[in-house]
Amino acid sequence: MKSVNQHSPLSKLMKLSFAFLLFFTINLSAQQGDATKGKQLFNANCAACHKLDKKLIGPPLKGVTERRSNEWLQAWIKDNQALIKSGDADAKEIFEEYNKMPMQAFPQLSEQDINDILAYTDDKPAAKAETPAAGGGEDMSQSPEVLAGKKLFNTNCAACHKLDKKLVGPALGGITDKRETDWLKAWIKDNAALRASGDALAKEVFEENGGAPMTAFPQLSDEDLNAILAYTKYGGKKDVIVDGKDALVETAPKTPFPWQATIAAVVLLVFLIWAFTKNKNGFVKFLSLIVVLIGGAWFAFGYMMQVGVDQDYQPIQPIAFSHKIHAGDNKIDCQYCHSSAKHSKTSGIPSVNVCMNCHKNITEYEGPVTAEHDKAFYDGEIQKIYDAIGFDPETRQYIENYEQKPIEWVRIHNLPDFAYYNHSQHVNVAGIKCQKCHGPVETMDEVYQYSPLTMGWCVDCHRETEVDMTKNGYYKKIHEQLAKKYGVVKVTEAQMGGLECGKCHY
Amino acid sequence: MKRILKLSTILAVVISFTACGDKTKRTPNLQFMPNMYEPVGYETYGENDYFKNDMATRLPAKGSVARGEVPYEYPDTNEGYEEAKLNLKSPYPATKENLENGKKMYDIYCAICHGKKGDGQGQLVKNEKFLGIPNYKDRDITEGSIYQVIMYGRNLMGSHASQLTEKERWQVTMYVEQLRNDLIK
Repeated sequence: MKSVNQHSPLSKLMKLSFAFLLFFTINLSAQQGDATKGKQLFNANCAACHKLDKKLIGPPLKGVTERRSNEWLQAWIKDNQALIKSGDADAKEIFEEYNKMPMQAFPQLSEQDINDILAYTDDKPAAKAETPAAGGGEDMSQSPEVLAGKKLFNTNCAACHKLDKKLVGPALGGITDKRETDWLKAWIKDNAALRASGDALAKEVFEENGGAPMTAFPQLSDEDLNAILAYTKYGGKKDVIVDGKDALVETAPKTPFPWQATIAAVVLLVFLIWAFTKNKNGFVKFLSLIVVLIGGAWFAFGYMMQVGVDQDYQPIQPIAFSHKIHAGDNKIDCQYCHSSAKHSKTSGIPSVNVCMNCHKNITEYEGPVTAEHDKAFYDGEIQKIYDAIGFDPETRQYIENYEQKPIEWVRIHNLPDFAYYNHSQHVNVAGIKCQKCHGPVETMDEVYQYSPLTMGWCVDCHRETEVDMTKNGYYKKIHEQLAKKYGVVKVTEAQMGGLECGKCHY
Repeated sequence: MKRILKLSTILAVVISFTACGDKTKRTPNLQFMPNMYEPVGYETYGENDYFKNDMATRLPAKGSVARGEVPYEYPDTNEGYEEAKLNLKSPYPATKENLENGKKMYDIYCAICHGKKGDGQGQLVKNEKFLGIPNYKDRDITEGSIYQVIMYGRNLMGSHASQLTEKERWQVTMYVEQLRNDLIK
């Protein structure tokens, strides 16, 4: 009981031609604007307030051409205020909806420019696929070809090959730089045949790798081979770097085991035991006693001197804020966040409004991830500031009447109460870089105390540092007098009175 | 004799073991005389259960004006922006020192997005964290509108009033105007 449609050849032709026409028109309309160029224009002009898929200051713009006509959009982008004044109902409505926040007018954009931008808002995936090619191979490792190649590599080659290391066969990362593509393809498809054909290179490779024949892969198409080779060229690089980083992180903190010191200590211990038990010579016993006393004093002194010194203290912070990402990768100046360092005794923990200057926009993490910390982990850390201040990243609005919570941090650098230290004096007047005392903070994922913060450490610096008088007329007279008194050209901080007890202890 | 030997070997092994292991210091060290180390009064950013939220650092009462600051009269609205753009003028002259400090402050607080030259190509734009930062020459801005925007922020840009004093804001304003004039040339 099936009803079968009878197609006449004519109706088939009609349908086909209609489909052809439709296809052609779609193609035409897509060609009206250049999405790649549109992306550039969008990023330069619109992205400050608009995203494609999310609300920012203005509405999300993906698929906006389906909601509004091209003429309306042209008029709106060129001068939205004029459009609103002309009494256009749509324009008024959107203006009201977005809190009467006027949008920047863009009279400098041509009709073609706007069409490009609209083409970009239309087809994000296409634009995305184009960018890696346009980017000159900046991030080829994520291109579809390389991803396909990775899959094929893992199913066919990975049993015997790695990209960065020799396994059964040689390492294949960057193999395309060493051998010609055609040779590689012939080799992979049937290496035995290639060797039999008398290819010298093939024989050499065979000998070099211990003469174990490699499986032939006649089932792999040319396309597959291209993908695999693309993966060996681009795919591995990222993996290798991440591997290298992990290895670095693991090995870096390990200091070599002090074998010599241990052996010396054991020998000394055995000698002392012998001296106090089996030995009958009184003088040796006396000598040993002195050694024990001096050694004991040395250890006791060493222990007592480090009481209250917190060098290398690295507590776990409630938010895994990475100075490496902020100050290192993104090169944000220390004082952007620690803004009170220039005027105040304390360098200042930034209040959340400073975090929000950037994180109003950056709601999720897009950087490289490690096995330990994935994207969800970093996103969760960003979410913690939103929880504290009451911000909804979906609507990009502060929640009204939200009970804000303070963010707790664990204090690392902590001078005892009897020592006075002033940041502004050191940052502004002396012009010392933060890193001098705090170490390479821009490389620290977790901050630790770099300096011992002992009095000896302060005094050392005060003795060495010459005072820069050129930019500060305030000290000019006293500098001349002091230079005469000490008979030097440049006066150090210590000679200025930087060692007086009362300067720091009062 | 044998017991001493045994004990000392155990001791040596224990000592050699304590030398290994994770060296990350997660807890602070011992303090010699905590009474002299720990303050009696509350510390900056410290915890103090006398206050709500246990925060020793309090927000200033509404309407209070910090020493050295001048109350700012233009409201954070579109009308306020237009008014400031027309009427607000800098109380400080554009001297060399002012511009110098303006540059210093600009490089810290603004250049990260707006670029050292004001062309909208700061480090965060290059890293694609922020996009669409305008070039100063493409925007019709006056000293009043620049100051208003530093004060309150605009669109995605947040207020930078908490990081800069009144004088510094004006110095940055001067410097931004100078950058803009250089770009227009």
